[in-house]
Amino acid sequence: MAVTTESVKADTAEAPLLNVRNLILGSLVYIVFYGWVRWYEGVYGWSAGLDSFAPEFETYWMNFLYIEFVLEVSTAGILWGYIWKTRDRKVMSITPREELRRHMTHWTWLVMYGWAIYYGASYFTEQDGTWHQTIVRDTDFTPSHIIEFYLSYPIYIITGGACFLYAKTRLPTYQQGLHMQYLVATVGPFMILPNVGLNEWGHTFWFMEELFVAPLHYGFVFFGWAALGVLGVVNTEVGAIAKLLKKDLA
Amino acid sequence: MSASQSAVRSRAEAVKVSRTFDWLILFTLFFVVLGGYHIHYMLTGGDWDFWTDWKDRRLWVTVAPIVSITFPAAVQACLWWRYRLPFGAVVCVLGLLLGEWINRYLNFWGWTYFPVNFCFPSNLMPGAILLDVILLMSNSFVATAVIGGLTYGLIFYPGNWPIIAPLHVPVEYNGMMMTIADLQGYHYVRTGTPEYIRMVEKGTLRTFGKDVAPVSAFFSGFVSILIYFLWHFFGKWFASTKFVESV
Repeated sequence: MAVTTESVKADTAEAPLLNVRNLILGSLVYIVFYGWVRWYEGVYGWSAGLDSFAPEFETYWMNFLYIEFVLEVSTAGILWGYIWKTRDRKVMSITPREELRRHMTHWTWLVMYGWAIYYGASYFTEQDGTWHQTIVRDTDFTPSHIIEFYLSYPIYIITGGACFLYAKTRLPTYQQGLHMQYLVATVGPFMILPNVGLNEWGHTFWFMEELFVAPLHYGFVFFGWAALGVLGVVNTEVGAIAKLLKKDLA
Repeated sequence: MSASQSAVRSRAEAVKVSRTFDWLILFTLFFVVLGGYHIHYMLTGGDWDFWTDWKDRRLWVTVAPIVSITFPAAVQACLWWRYRLPFGAVVCVLGLLLGEWINRYLNFWGWTYFPVNFCFPSNLMPGAILLDVILLMSNSFVATAVIGGLTYGLIFYPGNWPIIAPLHVPVEYNGMMMTIADLQGYHYVRTGTPEYIRMVEKGTLRTFGKDVAPVSAFFSGFVSILIYFLWHFFGKWFASTKFVESV
């Protein structure tokens, strides 16, 4: 195919710049999985999640917690390990087209981070508010916490870690050191999970679910601000992509 | 131009790739900002936003604009100053409202059965539009902070008036004067009810308005100016592209 034509038809032998199938399938994994989780909460929250001393609570909720712990640690180990193990050791020698393709894949990961942050910080966190306004907790592992703190937060941590590792191991843009705001955007929301320790410790003294805006919760707020680090990532990416495309768009 | 030096094969492909990145970036930015903004807002102003009986004439009017002008100021600092995109505030508020509405419907109503006309979110859109328009027309963050911040606080209560007014109508129930919103709360007791009762029994919250709402809006606008300044600089810092050697 002549390079001087205005055709956008890709070389059939070459992998597409953006793998749309991965983008859609990845998004569906989050949407379908969390749809199932919400169904589980709806059914077993009321029927088995009100009394932590009941045998059915152990069956439907504590076992859920144990299983998710195992799956999360395994997923993080396998995924992060795979990305690191298959890293490109000659990342600075890739062609501009390959670099562009990798930026597309990087953004597929970042779209997944968008889903993961939405479900963790927005959907399941505010959901926790309405559960506490309805049910007085008798355990730290109340159903909404088993989903919010110990499922949706680890999932966005795993996804964010994968994004960061992908960028660091495969993109020339990120070889000049550690990108400050990328660290903020992934480590900051990660810190929300350790902050659960403060939250639960505080709630052993006070039943402050009567007030969602209680200062005890401000740790979550502070680390939630770190999501804005995505602005720095966007700016770096726009610069890198513009550099790759500039002469063709001029 | 040789194919080996260029990332794309033609100008048309470059345009297509550029548009694709635009969508990927907008999607990610929208949902990540939504998540951060929502967790911030629900834990600093959430109780006033969750329930109609908390949507009073003094504290709701004061708190909601002050805590919600934060992310719009930060995102404007990036989108306007770097890309001249005049929708930083609106995109934040659209994200927040989407997150809130999905939650109020699927979880507040769908899981714990609070009717939606008791737990709908506050309307922040008029303030966000004004904030963006003022930045667009002035091209000055100082003018946006001072005029926009004040306007953001002042417009909040009128912006919610058509929605909340029917629920602020007085009603007598069991010999006690209260609003329809109070009556909703009376029938849907929550674990937050004791705190709410402690708050409404103070000062002028049960006096059905008069000067309380405008004074609260004015005070809210004043603090919103200061918060805008602060978060503008937070936004600049978050938008930086610095690399560090080690951490």
